[in-house]
Amino acid sequence: MGGKPACTLGEVKNRADLIIYWGGNPAECHPRHFTKYTLTPKGKFTPNGRKDRTMVLVDIRETPSARAADIFLQIRPGRDFEVLTALRAIIKDQPVDPERVAQTGLTLDQLRDLAERMKRARFGVIFFGMGLTMTRGKYMNSSAVLTLAAELNAFTKFIAMPMRGHGNVTGADTVLRWTTGYPFGVCFNRGYPRYNPGEFSTIDLLVRGDVDAVLVVGADPAATMPQPAIEHLKRVPTIVLDPKVSTTMRIARVGILTAATGISAGGTVYRMDEVPIPLRPALRSPYPTDEEVLRRIRQALAGRTGGETSSVGADS
Amino acid sequence: MLRIKGGKVYDPVHGLDGVCRDVCVADGRIVEDVPGGRVIDATGMVVLPGGVDIHTHIAGAAINFAREMIPEDHRRAVALARTPARRAGIGGVAPSTFATGYMYASMGWTTIFEAAVPVLTAKHTHEELRDTPIVDKGCYLLIGNNEIVMDLLEAEDYERVRHVVAWLVWAAKAYGLKAVNPGGVAAWKWGQNVQGLFEPVPGYQRVTPARIITALAQIAEDLGLPHPLHLHCNQLGLPGNFATTLETMKLLEGRRAHLAHLQFHAYGGDDWSTFRSEAPRIAEYLNDHPNLTADAGAVLFGDTVTVTADGPWQYLLYQLTGHKWGNMDIENETGCGIVPYVYRERSLVNAVQWAVGLELLLLVQDPWRIFLTTDHPNGGAFWRYPEIIRLLMDADYRRERLKALPSKVLKRIVLPDIDREYTLSEIVVITSAGPARALGLSQKGHLGAGADADIVIYDEDPDPGRMFARPRYVIKAGEVVVEDGEIRKTVLGREFVVRPAYDEGIETFLRPLFEHYYTVSFANYPVELERIHSAEVRPCGAGPRS
Repeated sequence: MGGKPACTLGEVKNRADLIIYWGGNPAECHPRHFTKYTLTPKGKFTPNGRKDRTMVLVDIRETPSARAADIFLQIRPGRDFEVLTALRAIIKDQPVDPERVAQTGLTLDQLRDLAERMKRARFGVIFFGMGLTMTRGKYMNSSAVLTLAAELNAFTKFIAMPMRGHGNVTGADTVLRWTTGYPFGVCFNRGYPRYNPGEFSTIDLLVRGDVDAVLVVGADPAATMPQPAIEHLKRVPTIVLDPKVSTTMRIARVGILTAATGISAGGTVYRMDEVPIPLRPALRSPYPTDEEVLRRIRQALAGRTGGETSSVGADS
Repeated sequence: MLRIKGGKVYDPVHGLDGVCRDVCVADGRIVEDVPGGRVIDATGMVVLPGGVDIHTHIAGAAINFAREMIPEDHRRAVALARTPARRAGIGGVAPSTFATGYMYASMGWTTIFEAAVPVLTAKHTHEELRDTPIVDKGCYLLIGNNEIVMDLLEAEDYERVRHVVAWLVWAAKAYGLKAVNPGGVAAWKWGQNVQGLFEPVPGYQRVTPARIITALAQIAEDLGLPHPLHLHCNQLGLPGNFATTLETMKLLEGRRAHLAHLQFHAYGGDDWSTFRSEAPRIAEYLNDHPNLTADAGAVLFGDTVTVTADGPWQYLLYQLTGHKWGNMDIENETGCGIVPYVYRERSLVNAVQWAVGLELLLLVQDPWRIFLTTDHPNGGAFWRYPEIIRLLMDADYRRERLKALPSKVLKRIVLPDIDREYTLSEIVVITSAGPARALGLSQKGHLGAGADADIVIYDEDPDPGRMFARPRYVIKAGEVVVEDGEIRKTVLGREFVVRPAYDEGIETFLRPLFEHYYTVSFANYPVELERIHSAEVRPCGAGPRS
């Protein structure tokens, strides 16, 4: 079985000599990634910065990130799992059918070269993006890339990390894990946490029409979710807390503008490698913080039911 | 105000061994007498000081990584439904934070120490500790593989290294110093480990595990930390590692130290097929050297998840088991590995491990120097402590359990020859009074006037396993938090931290190094004291030296 061989980004800065981005476009989506962590910084064991590193980009189209790469491998859409599996076979010296490799858009020589670079690296890392995790195969792709990285540790030090984004998604996942044991898709309707992605994840709940009210904090589901989910958001009372008038706020029953976290509200953000960073507001906002709004809603609810409702937490 | 009336009081610090007397509480502390208030009739019950766990993994990035890795365990675990007195949670081998607080408290443990904290993610640890209700807590800073410290040891700059270590302890808002496989975790950053105590750590000429261990033990003493160096020795888990453990203990002569989860470091044999117990040799050494304390790290059969900063060991365990493997290297400081694991009664190696934990607890003669832990969750979950208490108090039960082990194991262990049975007072020492003393917490582990009113009341039961699993009442800081095994009230515990003295100018030295090696800004690195709920800064240099 595979697992999750990971590290904090400073390990990459200080040590990595082979950087692979797979199914992501950091130049546009994580614009400081190259300069703060992966390519140009001079680290403790990478004193020459960019010169000490090789960058490989694997993607289905030539994005602006390809300009930063030493090697760009363009694969056919939906063939990530096959490429990852072939790489796993090659590093273990197992036979691979060149014709089947050709269906991925790459040649066997290209894959052999990549496998060889991976094994020879002093410290290798694969950053994988939504092009891998949210396309055909989904979690099977994630599993394949994590297993590949785990198996490479038989030869050298190798790490794999997801390229997470969307604000403090890692923070939400971290806090939910320590409070409930699970990272997302948690249901409290029996009074204790249950987890079942596909059953309790947001899109599934909305598409099935299982929820009769929605509170959205710092997210814009109407901009990204499938149409049937958006239709349900319109049907039920939806309340949105956001620093700006988002697509979701436009279709919501209630919209409350809040102070932007990190600009005019403090707090903690968990970086994609789960390192917590304190936020200190630089500006003042006329709007209340998300925390303050939620606290006031809770107090108002407690007043209405006449009892101490949620000293212990929300239920849905 | 509260009076606990007529119970049999076990308070080894004050020489009370089942003496019938009242225990009185006012303002969260134990007092000589109270004029009124609630009375709990404890006639026919036993009254003990609350448990103190000196080594557990319950908060922070590592255990939270473990939670992520084992949804299958959460599903079969006891679920804690929300009640007016408590929040919802999940039990199992890596419980959620709220559940952790409730489960420790409802077993009678009221003070717990998270044993492994990197500075870089210490904010996360403290957030989780704040969300771990009822119990008082603290944490130990991972320092044995810190590269700034190792670089200073390479340069033999001992004066400066002491200031750096003191600065880091305060930056992390930690209570003590912890070293895990000194040098080995740093080597793991290149996929390697250290060999022996006297070979240089890869990348260094002069820094060896031995040098790291002796330097840190000395620094803990020089800084006057209330708890000495908390050491996870090199070669954890490996056949024949008792030799390394003995060498390490010899290095520590003349200095205080605490040896963590000693069970994992007391093995003989040349390989897995000749794996056997060397608990008698380790216990004998410990018996003769009062500068050392240890906790058991006992193993119980069944499912668990292993969580340790010992990255190279976890990679080996992943290869041995073929199970899932999580790894998280923390820049410049430490590592972390996660592997779910099942201890099987029919496995020769696991059966030896089970015996070694009990052997150490039974062969170390002074209960003030060996403490009950399972290195939660590594040897088994903390909520299984009552099972170990029964094994220690009941030799017949031990013999019964031995029958289920493979017969081949009997030649490799000494447990069948040990008749010792713990008394209830001795149990109080290894679960409360002893760890409190080793931590330098003078207000914990006893029921004398002035102590924190952390009190557990059990219905007397001939089966100590059953008795310890379900207290009748648990009182935390004077509040009755558990009645009849149920959480009745949630209070928030305190956090113990220390602020050892250092030269403020050390920041001038650290800042440029930090900016070169790290990826967060120097100003964002230390944990602000305001982040810590109910921090109690404990004094350095004045702790009891036993």
